[in-house]
Amino acid sequence: MLTSELRPGGRETAPTRLDDDDLELLLLIRHFERNLLDLFSAGKLNGTTHTCIGQEYVPVALARLLDDRDYVFSNHRGHGHYLSRFRDPAGLLAEIMGRDGAVCHGVGGSQHIFRERFLSTGVQGESLPVAVGVALHLKRHEPGALAAVFVGDGTWGEGSVYEALNMARLWQVPLLVVVEHNEIAQSTPTTLQMAGTIAARAAAFGVEHRRVESADVNAIRGLVAPAVERVRQANRPLVLEFATTRIGPHSKGDDTRTEEELRSVRARDWYLAYQKVFPDQFARLDTRQREAIERITRDVDARTPSRWEGSCPGQSES
Amino acid sequence: MAAPTMHRPTTATSSTQTITLAKGLNMGLRAAMERDPRVIVMGEDVGRLGGVFRITDGLQKDFGEQRVLDTPLAESGIIGTAIGLAIRGYRPVCEIQFDGFVFPGFDQLVSQLAKLHYRSQGKVKVPVVVRIPFGGGIGAVEHHSESPESYFAHTAGLKVVACSNPVDAYWMIQQAIATDDPVIFFEPKRRYWEKAELDPTARPEPLHTSRVLRRGSAATVACYGPMVRTCLDAAAAGAEDGIDLEVIDLRTLSPLDLGPVFESVRHTGRLVMVSEAPSESSIAAEVAARVQQECFYSLEAPVLRVTGFDTPYPPSKLEEEFLPDLDRVLHAVDRALAW
Repeated sequence: MLTSELRPGGRETAPTRLDDDDLELLLLIRHFERNLLDLFSAGKLNGTTHTCIGQEYVPVALARLLDDRDYVFSNHRGHGHYLSRFRDPAGLLAEIMGRDGAVCHGVGGSQHIFRERFLSTGVQGESLPVAVGVALHLKRHEPGALAAVFVGDGTWGEGSVYEALNMARLWQVPLLVVVEHNEIAQSTPTTLQMAGTIAARAAAFGVEHRRVESADVNAIRGLVAPAVERVRQANRPLVLEFATTRIGPHSKGDDTRTEEELRSVRARDWYLAYQKVFPDQFARLDTRQREAIERITRDVDARTPSRWEGSCPGQSES
Repeated sequence: MAAPTMHRPTTATSSTQTITLAKGLNMGLRAAMERDPRVIVMGEDVGRLGGVFRITDGLQKDFGEQRVLDTPLAESGIIGTAIGLAIRGYRPVCEIQFDGFVFPGFDQLVSQLAKLHYRSQGKVKVPVVVRIPFGGGIGAVEHHSESPESYFAHTAGLKVVACSNPVDAYWMIQQAIATDDPVIFFEPKRRYWEKAELDPTARPEPLHTSRVLRRGSAATVACYGPMVRTCLDAAAAGAEDGIDLEVIDLRTLSPLDLGPVFESVRHTGRLVMVSEAPSESSIAAEVAARVQQECFYSLEAPVLRVTGFDTPYPPSKLEEEFLPDLDRVLHAVDRALAW
């Protein structure tokens, strides 16, 4: 069976207690993203950004299942992916604000981050073939490592997704496709932009698929760890689809959902559910992370502008 | 398919041999693969078949399926996976079957291949070569006869070259593969079967240099790829009428190497730029702009362009009307001389 639904610990179930480290990371991402929206409102940021408020638990749950040998390909909504891997809010904020200490010297901005084995890009689906190439190299030269790609449900409209799935299955490479299925592609509901299902599309290529309903970090890890391990050991591509919720707008002021829809979305927020069940732990860590982000913001804002500091070695050719 | 290689002892050196342009590419790929185990070849039908033009003939047999990969019909997938392989240390050479088939891979070329080196402040190298047979003249159709080089020259981060003869094909493909930057490598498909003498022990000129092929004083003719042969033929015909043309093969389209062109135009005072591609926003347009900027006081006539037309590539029975030929080149030379 190639596809299955992983329900235990679903939204209807009360959250389990997270260790402080996991909860801190979740809250770090939440406050980082909220802070970005505030900075935009205050006129402190230029351009645009995409926040992952509501989806933080997906990269947090996966963080402990990935290791340093693994590649991570992120997308336009990638701050949570980056923070889960590096816990570097100052470097990322400096990148977005164009300040000294920026992870890519301010060249990449919000959507184009490169750091060691982490790359993000904003064009939907274009990382998938690249990840297949990396995965093929990993299979040959670093067996046991994998290439993970974060995509959304909207990404499944792009043809490159299918070229990549086809090649990944043909060549049997360790590719982990993480789908953050938040039911909305920018402003278009998934029902209006997707025929059929992601499960059926994966199945058409003979690619294993798992759909995860849970928002509980502990439960998710327990459910998906064996499948992720199979990607590493058996070089089997896997599509891991998370039924999740984007609580914020696509970018800033572009949320077209009705107030009723937004209420329903907010009611599914892990943040509120966790606060209710574990108020003491939550209050302690929530305050700590909010204050940490405020501190980092003051510090980064006061820095000098970022400068291109990377060396650009001469072009070599024979 | 290319004629079999003929090994002919010559007076110059015993290693000299007569090869076709197709064979030059094949030999160049082979030499690069022998020299560097990181070089891999990938594309549609490049393995068992050896490519539709047999440029990769025999490579899979000799280097194995791990290094010569037959891919699905998926240009975005081919170029994308090549990028992934390149950032991990391979040096992939992708074959695009025909010029018009590169467009499904355009996103990967422009948004990833061209930009990763920049985005990583030079830390990531993406040494991918994308080979594209280009131009018309083989009786094919739209998508099989196009000249899309300007799209790529227009994109910062890509190097673009076009070989015109068997000897350059042999050297330039090896130089492109050895380049740490992405190189879009255009091959004049109608010239695949033309022959020349190759001395593999010779020293090649650097990749990004243009070359004066024929000295002359009446006017300068600049060209590249499939039009080089046409322009040399035009120069030979012109000489019979007493018109002494200087012919320059640009070879590199991005970056352009226009020093020899400026020098020539300062001497001749006239430039005819010849290319199969449509003229609007083309390589020919760029050359014309730079020559008028650098050689303004030397010019005795406006820079004239002889190009394909600003239309889709026509059906094969009309391509003789579309492609610049000897008469159109000489007509433009006459206009320049009569200015």
